[in-house]
Amino acid sequence: MGKFMRQLQYQVFLIPILVIYTLFTIYPLIRSFTLSLTNFNGYSNNYDFIGLRNYARLFADPAIMSGISFTVLFAVATTVLVTLLAIPLALILDQKFLSKNVLRAVFFFPSIPSGLLLAFVWGFIFAPVPSGILNTILRELFGSGPQPWLSDPVLAKISTIVVAVWAVTGWHAIIYLAFLQSIPRDFYEAASIDGASRWQQIRYLTIPLLAPAMTVSILLLITNGLKVYEIPFALTNGGPGFETHTITHVIVLRGISEAQFGLASAISVVFFLIVLVIGFLQFNLMQRREERMQ
Amino acid sequence: MKRKSLLFVVVMLVSVILGACGSNNDSATGNNGSASEPNQVKLSILAWNNESEMKPVLQGFQEKYPHITFDFQFAPPVRDYISKLQTMLLSDSATDIFMIAAENRNEIIDGGHALDLTDYPFMEVMLDSNKPMLSKDGRTYAFTQNGWVGGWFYNKALFEQAGITELPQTWDEFVEVCLKLKEAGIIPLYDNMQDLTQVHSALYGNMVLSQDPEFDDKIFAGEKTFADGWTEVFNVWKRDLIDTGILTPDMIGLTGEQVESEFALGNVAMFFSGPWVLDKLDQTPDLDYGVMGLPGFEEGQRYYVGAPGVGFAVNSKTPRQEEALLFLEYLSSEEGLQLFYEGTGLIMTAEGFEAEVHPALQQAYEEGLIEGNIYLPMVTWPRYQEALRNQFVVSTQDVAVGKISVDEAIQAIDRKFEEMENY
Repeated sequence: MGKFMRQLQYQVFLIPILVIYTLFTIYPLIRSFTLSLTNFNGYSNNYDFIGLRNYARLFADPAIMSGISFTVLFAVATTVLVTLLAIPLALILDQKFLSKNVLRAVFFFPSIPSGLLLAFVWGFIFAPVPSGILNTILRELFGSGPQPWLSDPVLAKISTIVVAVWAVTGWHAIIYLAFLQSIPRDFYEAASIDGASRWQQIRYLTIPLLAPAMTVSILLLITNGLKVYEIPFALTNGGPGFETHTITHVIVLRGISEAQFGLASAISVVFFLIVLVIGFLQFNLMQRREERMQ
Repeated sequence: MKRKSLLFVVVMLVSVILGACGSNNDSATGNNGSASEPNQVKLSILAWNNESEMKPVLQGFQEKYPHITFDFQFAPPVRDYISKLQTMLLSDSATDIFMIAAENRNEIIDGGHALDLTDYPFMEVMLDSNKPMLSKDGRTYAFTQNGWVGGWFYNKALFEQAGITELPQTWDEFVEVCLKLKEAGIIPLYDNMQDLTQVHSALYGNMVLSQDPEFDDKIFAGEKTFADGWTEVFNVWKRDLIDTGILTPDMIGLTGEQVESEFALGNVAMFFSGPWVLDKLDQTPDLDYGVMGLPGFEEGQRYYVGAPGVGFAVNSKTPRQEEALLFLEYLSSEEGLQLFYEGTGLIMTAEGFEAEVHPALQQAYEEGLIEGNIYLPMVTWPRYQEALRNQFVVSTQDVAVGKISVDEAIQAIDRKFEEMENY
């Protein structure tokens, strides 16, 4: 009894956060689900229950299917590229050299301004006109003609991913850097006495000990990648056609612009399930990998 | 002891929650109290024009009615404004005065959010031709005193450089002019295809509406389809502008501002725009430009893109209805019209008000706005403006990059319409 009361006493302190979480996360989630079963248009409170019709329509909508495929591509590509770039970057920034602190700040900086702002600036760099910054540089250096960086279906996707990778690599490198600094120096000393080369030290010591950092970094990259909105929005506005539309774009497009709130809610619910499953799988796999590696 | 501390925590929590509710109630009664007191009223307004543009007319009003002050809010048009207002309306926190635009009029009027203004005396100042966009079933829900018309801005020096001495009088001549510019190494026309393109709208005006002004109504009544009206428009656009390389898919990546700057810098000979760009162009030294309508297939036929301006509406649920109506009445007065013009520089189209029009837009104003040779699909379409516009943009871009054919593009539009009808 005493133990139970003590437990309860601790639990009581969770009530405020539970209230907030319920109000701002659980309730909207349930509300989205109930609205997804209606033909609510976002303006009028007179709407009818239409069952699963929104869900049936969802998978026949080219914008939604294109949104899902680009979002998944974006999430996977940014995750892989950022991880491949951030770990070597962290290893370099972990070295002792004169401009170390300045460089850390420089690489971290792009993650401070909002993605919207970054994408607007990159919009000028990628401008498809002959006077666009990148096109001018290419012409001056190589004499090549203007490239449609943001209006060719393939190039637009690549450009969007490049900007996103550029923006967050530094931030993730700092996560890895923090974990790197917690690896005791003795390990490296022991390894070098045993005759391990620098590469072998990285391969068999650093990488396995960075496993917890990878779990965190990759989880953040995947979830943020799936939720991406502002970079493609400001850079290409989802074009050309539906090529760089993300799921979040489609939700706003169908829900707000087209006043099909019920359908947009159905997309949100499906999107929530996709993120939930991917997040759960990824976290479990990575944790198991962590245990195996250590 | 433990029991006491548990009780204490619970009591604290409950009192905090109740306290929050209580203070809410207090502020609500406080508001009502001030409303019944005629001396101090704060009118809230969600404006479409920014604060510096609205300042003269707001100040003029406040000088006349010193007991009314403003809680001024602004959201940039179009999409941001629409979604902000939508959120406010849904959560019952909308401002006393807000704007109705072509893009949100159905939802606002059908939802009963705006007060019916039809019978108020100040509505006489509003031009009859401005009313349909802001009306439903003969009742008008917002007041506008302006309109806009846009056309194709052209750089006179670049035209001269390419040896073009006369403006094109027919569509074929227009295409010829573009090709001539292209031969001279000048980019003839920029169009970023991020909207239902104005070339499409004006072509539709010249090719379809000039024959049958009611065509859009017929589409929405189910007598005609989008394919009936728009297939030829898309075919002409693709054949004469895309296949000839006058418009290229790489233009899709341009922003509106980049297009304006490129024109101001003399890097492109033509682009579509409206009154909002005049200031910027006039500030550019040595830029000599004109504005023309898009010529049709018959000599002398020209269409422009334009519409009535967005209208001021009164929130039907506001307790400050009387003051809100006072503001609309002031807007319609001679003084209000003048100050609104001074602040915004918009083209005024109010009954009995001598409008000043920028010389470059004079022809567009007379031929387009006054004679009614203007078309903006989102104004004429009675339903699903945003959904259809989005589909037009996607279809246009897909045709431009060569992903789909014209027929597929139009089918997608008809499918979208059907889908919306069945939602």
